[in-house]
Amino acid sequence: MSSDVILVIVVGTALAFDFTNGFHDTANVVATSISTGAARPQVAIAMASLLNFAGAFISISVAATVANDVVNADVITPTIVFAGLIGAIAWNLITWSFGLPSSSSHALIGGVVGSAIAAAGFDAVIAEGLVGKVLIPALIAPVLAFSVAGLSIGLIYRIVGKQKPGTVTRGFKYGQIVSGGLLALAHGTNDAQKTMGVITLALIANGSLAAGADPPLWVIASAAAAIAAGTYSGGWRIIKTTGTRIIKMDAAQGFSSQGAGSAVILASTHFGFPLSTTHVINGGIMGAGAAKRFSAVRWGVAGNIVFAWVLTLPAAAAIGALAYGLTRIFGTGALGPVVVTLASLSLIVAVFARRAERGAPVAASSG
Amino acid sequence: MTLATLVEGKELLETVVASTVAGIGVTFVFSVAIWGVARFADLSRNERPLAAAAAALAAGLALLATVAIVVLGILVMTSK
Repeated sequence: MSSDVILVIVVGTALAFDFTNGFHDTANVVATSISTGAARPQVAIAMASLLNFAGAFISISVAATVANDVVNADVITPTIVFAGLIGAIAWNLITWSFGLPSSSSHALIGGVVGSAIAAAGFDAVIAEGLVGKVLIPALIAPVLAFSVAGLSIGLIYRIVGKQKPGTVTRGFKYGQIVSGGLLALAHGTNDAQKTMGVITLALIANGSLAAGADPPLWVIASAAAAIAAGTYSGGWRIIKTTGTRIIKMDAAQGFSSQGAGSAVILASTHFGFPLSTTHVINGGIMGAGAAKRFSAVRWGVAGNIVFAWVLTLPAAAAIGALAYGLTRIFGTGALGPVVVTLASLSLIVAVFARRAERGAPVAASSG
Repeated sequence: MTLATLVEGKELLETVVASTVAGIGVTFVFSVAIWGVARFADLSRNERPLAAAAAALAAGLALLATVAIVVLGILVMTSK
């Protein structure tokens, strides 16, 4: 009975994380389309939300990696997964409050790894999976998106550089509707699957599923719905950073960065790499900006984003470990997760209330 | 345990190649489509119907190629 209560809390927390993932990552998907005027904000966000939902049903390779290749399922308990999720949500909200587009994916993996280490030592981590499927792709992906976007924009300017700007801009704005849609689909295939992977891991840990099992349909559908709802709610603070503060973009740059991002994410999803869409699209934006003019990129803002990226895994791991320690103070039953959930919710409400009191934007409608 | 044994080299290399080819390929064909549309408008204004028709044909073919690459990309990438 107690383990079932913990499982319900874990599933609820995982879906809450998925919601914050969509909320946090909306910027990655729609910011370039909005900032170049290719789509109106509400239309872009609604389209991204629908395509995120659809994308979640396309593949389960990434979910399998998260469930089976990062931590040792034999030593994982639902409480460990719960604490990892708390670490990820906390880090997502911290970076959101500063307007930094850090990686929700790495926050999730960092949180689960941190709580697993706190619970069962370093043997709980599968080094091959963590390094080969998470850390190395994490380093390569933004560089790849940067290079592909840079080469693409160079090619675009060579081909259409002498044509009338009006026709070219209009054309790339139409193109951005497709490339933005493709990016939203790619985001759904990769990001929604991380939550599916974590819920599957909790189900395996609880004995409700056999080790190595694929996510059940209800897990896929609920993860898809949660990320779509989060995306629709939008994260306007980060949209502003991604869409206007890294570079001032034209439609061709928006198209090349979205095209590069989609290509990198879809290729990675095919091989089951749980990639950060945040890293990829920001790498693409920087590449499209730097190829036109190196000084066009506001490297100070870019530096802050890189700093948040570097911090994400260790910070989420530390918070995950702390959350596990707090949970265990109340024993191994359901009381720990219940208390930590209530404490976390109270903290979140307090932060939002304080922000609202100061008059800072807290929701899409205020952006 | 060395780094070489941890890294999934073949899959990473395929990811890099596929991303590069798809990203740059789509950009190339779509840019040709826009070039074709822009040239078609110019040449039509200058009353050069044959050249304008050729530009329109290039634009149409490039647009079809763009759609084909996007659809093929989604099918291949998600067919695992």
